Amino acid sequence: MSWDSFIYFAIAAIILWSAGALTAFKGEKKTIPSLLTALGLAVFFVFILGLWVSLERPPLRTMGETRLWYSLFLPLAGLLTYRRWGYRWILSFTTLLSVVFIIVNITKPDIHNKVLMPALQSPWFAPHVIIYMFSYAILGAVTLIAIYYLVRESKISNKGRLMAMTDNLVYVGTALITMGMLMGAIWAKAAWGHYWSWDPKETWAAATWLGYLLYIHYRLRRKASNKTSMYILIIAFLMLQICWVGVNYLPSAQGRSVHTYTME
Amino acid sequence: MEKSSRKIWEHPWGYVEGFIVASGVLLAGLMLQLTLGNIDKAAFGFPVNIIIGALFMVGLLSLHFFLRRKKVVRWLSGVSSTIPAISLLLAVIVIMGFTPQFSDHVSREQLPPTPLRGLGWYQMTTSWPFVLLCFYMLTILGLTTLRRTTKKKGWRDIGFYLNHVGLFLALLGGMLGSGDMKRYTMSVKEGSVEWRGTDQLGQVHELPIAIQLDTFMIEEYPPKLVIIDNQTGRILPADRPEAYMFEGVGKTTTLAGNQIEILDFMADAAIVRDSNIVNFVHMPMEGATSAIKVRVTHPSIGQPVEGWVSNGSYIYPYEVLYIDSTKSVAMPVQEVRKYTSKVTVYTKSGHVRKAEIEVNRPLSIENKVVYQYSYDETRGKYSQVSIFEIVTDPWLAVVYVGIFMLLAGALFMFIAGPRQEATPERCL
Repeated sequence: MSWDSFIYFAIAAIILWSAGALTAFKGEKKTIPSLLTALGLAVFFVFILGLWVSLERPPLRTMGETRLWYSLFLPLAGLLTYRRWGYRWILSFTTLLSVVFIIVNITKPDIHNKVLMPALQSPWFAPHVIIYMFSYAILGAVTLIAIYYLVRESKISNKGRLMAMTDNLVYVGTALITMGMLMGAIWAKAAWGHYWSWDPKETWAAATWLGYLLYIHYRLRRKASNKTSMYILIIAFLMLQICWVGVNYLPSAQGRSVHTYTME
Repeated sequence: MEKSSRKIWEHPWGYVEGFIVASGVLLAGLMLQLTLGNIDKAAFGFPVNIIIGALFMVGLLSLHFFLRRKKVVRWLSGVSSTIPAISLLLAVIVIMGFTPQFSDHVSREQLPPTPLRGLGWYQMTTSWPFVLLCFYMLTILGLTTLRRTTKKKGWRDIGFYLNHVGLFLALLGGMLGSGDMKRYTMSVKEGSVEWRGTDQLGQVHELPIAIQLDTFMIEEYPPKLVIIDNQTGRILPADRPEAYMFEGVGKTTTLAGNQIEILDFMADAAIVRDSNIVNFVHMPMEGATSAIKVRVTHPSIGQPVEGWVSNGSYIYPYEVLYIDSTKSVAMPVQEVRKYTSKVTVYTKSGHVRKAEIEVNRPLSIENKVVYQYSYDETRGKYSQVSIFEIVTDPWLAVVYVGIFMLLAGALFMFIAGPRQEATPERCL
């Protein structure tokens, strides 16, 4: 399956996810929205698998390929949250953010080829990147919730419940970025000789991690302010974005990161 | 942040005191930085790091066992000191993320002469503010962990200890161990034995390990074809460069609007020049190059253009095929799929081991790890030299115990999630 067919799979998935998001607003039952979203996920995943087969390597090397997984995991995180917490708006949020990343991938397609550098040929490659992408999707959903909270604070009736959901998602997301980071450290030891070199990507990964630790520890206090908590989440997600995308543009990281695998 | 009638510095301390104390640590670090300059890691190698580590642990344990009822010690083992400590460390790491970082081996004079140099920001990890803040955070982390042992036990303690002890070990081991970590590169010719390594300062040392390079092999990906702009040499189309990876003779493809037909392929070609005629002949020898014969058709050119394209080798220059005055077909240098060194390793204590070393597949022998590092890139796949990196890190075991505890702790956190109901403040 080549990149050219992406647009068809993407459109099919977006239609299914949007239908899931819309039906979530109608009716009490979660079955139909869940089924539609799951079907969209299946369509999108088939494309990723096809690309994997045709490239003869995991499609996780370039930024565009990581965006692909992100677009998949966002509605998945939305679906799991919807099933567990029942907030009707969550599916439309995650679908919307996923569509943004799909549009980036359609308008700025990467160059996809079979080349996988020796440093990436490791059993850690797929778990390291997939776990990170899944955690980014969950933390992306958390950021949407934080924005939702800050915009509509006065209108939210049960703040305690919303905060409990946020705490849950942050714990899951942070647990996953911790695993992604430590797998990266073990892999770095095998590939580059040291488990942590303060490469720009590693520096921002540490900053992101500390940002979410800040939230978790701040929330231990019963008196913690909801607003401050939500601001911490937004700042942490900004650092996450610098870690994921920004290091490719930061002057301080130009030509210095060993984590750059996009090529011409 | 906290609204109460309590005056500042009146116990129990809160976030405000936390930010003041953490800023004090930062300030002390800055003073040390301005007077002493960056920390010389080598000076903190064995046995200094052992002594510092032992003193630090004794200090933590004494604070816990003898002074834990003191208000300041209680405060140092709770959220009120943790949040400011993480915040300031985070701020320093963000500064580090925005400032270009240089290796510790770059001397002060070679750094950009800006005010940031005096602050130590170009080598943040060996700067006093960074190291002091790390130790301040370790102190809080250690005291918080010790304090938890005096509380009522519950199943959630498993996650707490895995995460906190794990992080403590990984951080402390990583910091104290950095002075003892040694890295040498060693360049070995095929068929010969080498035991001298070059450290990061360029000094040559005799090492207690010798490597004999039996064979060195490079596997490459198939060659690729691209269309380049004759003026700039850039790959077309400029906004999204296209490339075609060779899949077999007889295939066709389109590159930047040009129809390309693959007519012939040689993995081992010699380029023979005869006055102004260039011939490609099959010749399996050292320095032979890849060559692809193509036919190009494009509406703007009348007759199809036909000819050989090659990316050259250390013997032959590359060869492009002119389509017209503006563009040509070219073959970029092939990407390396894999490189392998078959070696026999001898150690001073008499061990002999045969092994294959690749990127991601290092060889551990005694307390050393040998990595495939590089090769003679000017000769590409005909390199007869393999470059290894030999690393010793005596503190690695401590760090790994920490990392695996943290991994288990993350798994715990993933499954258990946060405490469900709001609970009273347990660590004030």
